[in-house]
Amino acid sequence: MSVSPSDPRYDRAAASDDALLNAHEAALAPQGDDHAHYPLRPLVLLFVTSGFILFAATYLNRYAGQYDPTVFNEDTLPNHAAVSAPAADPVTLGKRLFNSSGACFTCHQPTGQGIPGVYPPLAGSEWAQGSPDRVIRILLAGLTGPVTVEGKTFNAAQMPSFGPSGFNWSDEKISQVLTYVRQEWGNKAPPITPAQVAAIRATIGDHPAWTSAELLQIK
Amino acid sequence: MTLASTPTAETPAAPAEVTVVETAGRVPLLLLAGSAIAWLLVSGILALASSIQLVHPDFLSGWSFLSYGRLTALAETAFIYGWVGNAGLTVALWMLGRLSGEPLRAPNWLLAGASFWNFSLLLALIGIAIGYGTAVPFFELPTVTIPILFLSYAAMAIPGVLAWVGRRRDLMFASQWYAVAALFLFPWILAVGYFMLDKIPVQGAVQAVVGGWYAQALWTVWMAPLALAGAYYVVPRVTGKLLPAYDSAVLGFWVLVVVGGFTGGRHLIGGPLPAWVASVAIVTTFLLLVHYVVVLLNLRVAWGGGGTALKFIGLGLFCYVLGGFADAVTSVRGVAVSTQFTFFDVAQTQLALYGGVTLMLLGALYFALARILGRPWCSAGLIRAHWALTVLGLAAVVICLAVAGLRQGADLNNAQVSFAAIADDTRPWLVGAVAGAAALLLGNILWALNLAGTAAAMVREELFAS
Amino acid sequence: MKNGLMLFLGLLAAMLIPWSAIVLGANHELGRQPAYYDDNDSQAYPLRPSGIAAEGEQVYRGLNCAACHTQQVRRDGYGSDVARGWGDRQSVARDYIFRANPELGALRIGPDLANLAGRKPTAPDIDDLYTLLYEGQGAMPPYRFLFQYRKIIGQRSDDALQLVGRYEPRPGYEVVPTRAAQRLAGYLLSLNSTYTYPEARAAAPAAGEGRK
Repeated sequence: MSVSPSDPRYDRAAASDDALLNAHEAALAPQGDDHAHYPLRPLVLLFVTSGFILFAATYLNRYAGQYDPTVFNEDTLPNHAAVSAPAADPVTLGKRLFNSSGACFTCHQPTGQGIPGVYPPLAGSEWAQGSPDRVIRILLAGLTGPVTVEGKTFNAAQMPSFGPSGFNWSDEKISQVLTYVRQEWGNKAPPITPAQVAAIRATIGDHPAWTSAELLQIK
Repeated sequence: MTLASTPTAETPAAPAEVTVVETAGRVPLLLLAGSAIAWLLVSGILALASSIQLVHPDFLSGWSFLSYGRLTALAETAFIYGWVGNAGLTVALWMLGRLSGEPLRAPNWLLAGASFWNFSLLLALIGIAIGYGTAVPFFELPTVTIPILFLSYAAMAIPGVLAWVGRRRDLMFASQWYAVAALFLFPWILAVGYFMLDKIPVQGAVQAVVGGWYAQALWTVWMAPLALAGAYYVVPRVTGKLLPAYDSAVLGFWVLVVVGGFTGGRHLIGGPLPAWVASVAIVTTFLLLVHYVVVLLNLRVAWGGGGTALKFIGLGLFCYVLGGFADAVTSVRGVAVSTQFTFFDVAQTQLALYGGVTLMLLGALYFALARILGRPWCSAGLIRAHWALTVLGLAAVVICLAVAGLRQGADLNNAQVSFAAIADDTRPWLVGAVAGAAALLLGNILWALNLAGTAAAMVREELFAS
Repeated sequence: MKNGLMLFLGLLAAMLIPWSAIVLGANHELGRQPAYYDDNDSQAYPLRPSGIAAEGEQVYRGLNCAACHTQQVRRDGYGSDVARGWGDRQSVARDYIFRANPELGALRIGPDLANLAGRKPTAPDIDDLYTLLYEGQGAMPPYRFLFQYRKIIGQRSDDALQLVGRYEPRPGYEVVPTRAAQRLAGYLLSLNSTYTYPEARAAAPAAGEGRK
C-alpha cells in the first residue's frame, strides 16, 4: 500500500537517520576559509545571554535583600537592629521574680503589705523608694536586727541574702525585682540598672548581713 | 539548506524506514505507547470531571475519592507520570535506538520497567484517591510508591543508556542530549524530592522551596527535554532541512538544564520565604528565555512543512515558546501580584504541559508509531478530527482560563469583592474551559481509536501473512 | 558534544549547582529556625499544634484542600491579603516550623486560611466550620462524607450539628461529625499566626519605594 505525499496518514521522511547525523555534524565543523562570512547569530545570542546575566546581577544586587533570611520584603535591606529581639520589660520580669516560689512574696506578701509586727511592708516604704545604694545592699547581703519602716519597728525576722552568700541572684535579677518593687503599689521611685548592682557588689565584697544603723550611714 | 541524501523508494512500509530498531523493540515500545494513550484518556476524563466541579461544586461531591482536591491531584499525576512519562520514553528510547543504528538492547528490562511503572502509578492513583496524596504540586505521589517508580524508571532507562553508550558515532545530535538528560536526571530529582520531603523532611517553609524546585526541575529537565528530543529529531527528518541555528543548539540545551533548576521559586513570590528565593527565580526565568529563542530559531522550519507530525510539532513549538515568555512576564513582581493564585497560572501550566509538551509528543508519536507499526495510520479522517479538536480544545482551555484568571486576579486584589462574586465572575469562562477539556478528550479518544485500528490492521496483516 | 562522560558530568553539575544554591541554601538559613521565645509572655511562638491539630493536618493534606486554599498571607501593599483581614502581617517562615507539611497552596478559589483562627473581629468557631463543611458555600463543595447522617438513638448527640433550612435532618435523625471532621476542625482552629515576630515586623514596605 502506498500513500500520496499529502496524505496525513503517513509522514514521509525527507532525510534518513544517517543524512540527519551527517549534515548536522558538518554544520558544527569549522566552516572553511570564509573570511567574509561572519555568522552574526551566535554573537547576538552571546550578547543577549550576557545581557540577561547582567540584568540578573543588577536586580539581585538591589532586590535580594543581600540573601538575608530575615528580609521578606524585597524592597528593604537587612536591618539587624530592627529584627533583634526587643529587650524584655524589667517590670514584668521583676514581678515574676517577686512572686516566684520561695521568694519575696512569701514574707512581704503579694500585696507588698508585709505582716504587721513580723515583716515590713514595701508599699509606701521609704526604704524601698529611697536610696538605691541601701536597697541594693539589703538584697546583696541581707538585713539583720531591728528596722523602722513607716514609723513601725520590725525585729521578728531576718531578711535573707539574695547575693553570693544566699540565693545568689544575678545583677539582672536583683535590678529587675527592685525596679518592680519601686513602681508597684503606688511606689514611685526610679528603676535600678544591673550596672548599679554590679558596682555595689564589687564594693561590698562578702559583707555579712547589714544592720539598719549601718545602712542609714550610707547615702 | 537541505540534508545531503534522501532515501529512495519512499513508500510507507518500505524496509528503509522500518529498521531493526522497530522490529526488535516493537512490543515494549507499543506497550509504552499504549500505556501513554491510556493514561492520556484517563487523565482527560479526570480533568474534565474536575473542571465541571469548578462550575458545579456539587458534582460528584458525595464521594470522598472524587472530591475536587483529590480529583485535580489524580488528573495531574496521571497526566504527568502516566501520559508524559510513557509517551516521552517511547519517543526518547525509539529515537536513541534509531540514531545509535543498533537494535534496542535489553528489551526485557524495558518491558519489566514499563509494567512496574504503570502498575505502581495505578497504585499511586488509588492511594491519592483514598487520601494518601502529598498535596505537593506535581508531586502528589504517595510516598510508598516512589521507590518502585524509581526502580521502574531505572529499568526503562537501561535500553536508552545502552543505545547511547553503544552509538556508532561519537558526536551526539541534539535529540540525544535532551533524551540523555531526561533519562539521567529524572531519578535524581525524584530521589531528592522523596528524601527531602518525605524521608528526612526539611523543616517548615523549606518544604515549599523543595516542592517548587521539584516542580520546575521536573518541567525543565524531564518533560521539556523529552518533548524537545522528539521535536529535534522529527523536524529535520520530515522537512529534510538542516536546523537553521544548530550551532547555537548547545547553548540552548545547557541554558535549559543549568538555569532551569534556579527558577523553582517562581511560585513563591510574596510568600513566606526570604526575598532572595523569589528574586533569583525571577532573574533566571528571564535568562531561560535564551533557551526558548534558540529552540524557536531551530525548530521554526516545522512551520513551513506539511504533514501531521509537523502540524502538531509546529503548534507545539508556538505554545512552548509562548509559555516561556509568559513565564517571564508573569514572574515580574508587579504582574505576579495579579496573576498569582489565579486561573491564569493554571492556564500557563496548561499552555506549557499541553500546548508545549503534549503537542510535540503527539507529533513525534504520529511519526514514530507509523514506523513502529510498520504501516500508515488507518484513518485520515480521525487524524483531521484529532487535530481540529485539539486546536479548538487547547485554545478554549488556555484562553478561557487565562481570562478567568485575569478577572479573578483583579477581583482578589479588591478587598471589597466577596468570593461569591469572584465565583460568579469566573464561571462563564470556566464553562468555556470545560468545553475545551471535553474537546481535547474527544480528540484523544479519536486518536486512540485510530491507533487501535492501525494496530489491529497490523496484527491482521501479520496473521494472514504467516 | 562528543564526549559522553563529559555530558554526564555536565548534567550532574547542572543539577547539583542550582539545587545546592537554592534548596540547600534555603535549608541552611531556615532549616533549623527555632521558635521565638517571648520573655514578656513566657511563651514560645509559634505554639506547637495539639495532637488533634496534627492529625487534622493530614486530613487537610489527604483531601488536598490546598488545591483551592492558600495559607500564606502576602504583605500589606502587595495584594489585598491584609485588607481582607486574612492576617495583620506577611506570613514568615517561622509560622510553619511546627507544621509537618506546610500547605502553602497555589490557587485561591477560596480564601486564605493562614490565620483562620486569629481573624478579627471574630474567628469562625467549630459550629461555623462544621456547617460550612457540611453545606458547602459558593464555590466550596459540600463535604458530606465527613459527616454521618444517622438515626437518633436515645438522646440527641452533643456533637450533632445545628442545621436549618433545607439541610435540616429529618425528624429523628441527626448529623454528627466523623473523626476525620473533628480532626480537620481541630486543625483549622489551630491556624493562628497573630504573633508578630521581630523579622515579621520589619516586612512592612518602605514608603515610596518602587517595586519590580
